[in-house]
Amino acid sequence: MKSKEEQIEIISKVINSTKENLKPLSVNFIFWGSLIVVMSLIHYSIPQFVQYTEYSSLLFWTILPMLGMLFTIVYNIKIRKVLGYETYLNRVIKIIWGIFNLSWLVMVVTSLLNGINNPVPEILFLLSTTLITTGIIIKFKPILIGGILLMLFTIYINFNPNINFLIVNIIGVSLGMLLPGISLYFSKVNE
Amino acid sequence: MNKSIDKLLLNPIRLKIISTLISVSECDFNYLKKITESTQGNLSIQLKKLKEHDYINIEKKFENNYPKTICSITKKGKLKFEEFFETILTYRKTTKH
Repeated sequence: MKSKEEQIEIISKVINSTKENLKPLSVNFIFWGSLIVVMSLIHYSIPQFVQYTEYSSLLFWTILPMLGMLFTIVYNIKIRKVLGYETYLNRVIKIIWGIFNLSWLVMVVTSLLNGINNPVPEILFLLSTTLITTGIIIKFKPILIGGILLMLFTIYINFNPNINFLIVNIIGVSLGMLLPGISLYFSKVNE
Repeated sequence: MNKSIDKLLLNPIRLKIISTLISVSECDFNYLKKITESTQGNLSIQLKKLKEHDYINIEKKFENNYPKTICSITKKGKLKFEEFFETILTYRKTTKH
């Protein structure tokens, strides 16, 4: 039988060995930030290609993000397998972003049915609330600040409806996802 | 007042299993094997004992044609771990004085 000190040491050692690893989350942020920025740049640079037909722009903005979702699902499952465990924090984040993906899909489909071509402000607002929630939960200020900046930016769009939504996407997603994602990737919380 | 200590958790392998499961939502057999530094057979026996006492849940499934065991802690397991931890802390305090 182990002594009480040894038992406490066992508990402490085992709990400390199960680290919170936020690097996969940062990879998700960098991936999505880059994808949306690159897609927006392509759309902005060669609109004649993206808007070739009535529905090509819609297909461009639904098929590629859905492929992106598929990629991130496979990536996250793979990471989970490699680690061998899932912490409560990772589970909460997974649920939050799962709901975000579902909401995004519902917004795109309902916008299409209602004849709205550009649900960008609504999606960015949803993204900002999800980023703020994530930032608070993981206690990582750059993501929280990124989410707040994106929310302020979304409010600004509502007062300036003539602003180019692609520029909005590039600035908003860079501030809200890409830069905080890079910051999280190199953060000390992952060491 | 001294509570009687949970004998099931006095075994170091079982204590390591419960300590791991208290800090994660779920984990697989291989991770537990690495953490407990025990053999496959011994780990299986200890998991079975914890399952019999309703301390943990064990889910068996197939992944790419390979069997996979996923473990998680039950409400009873959490409660028992908390009681155990409190008891050893109390013992330690009383022996120090």
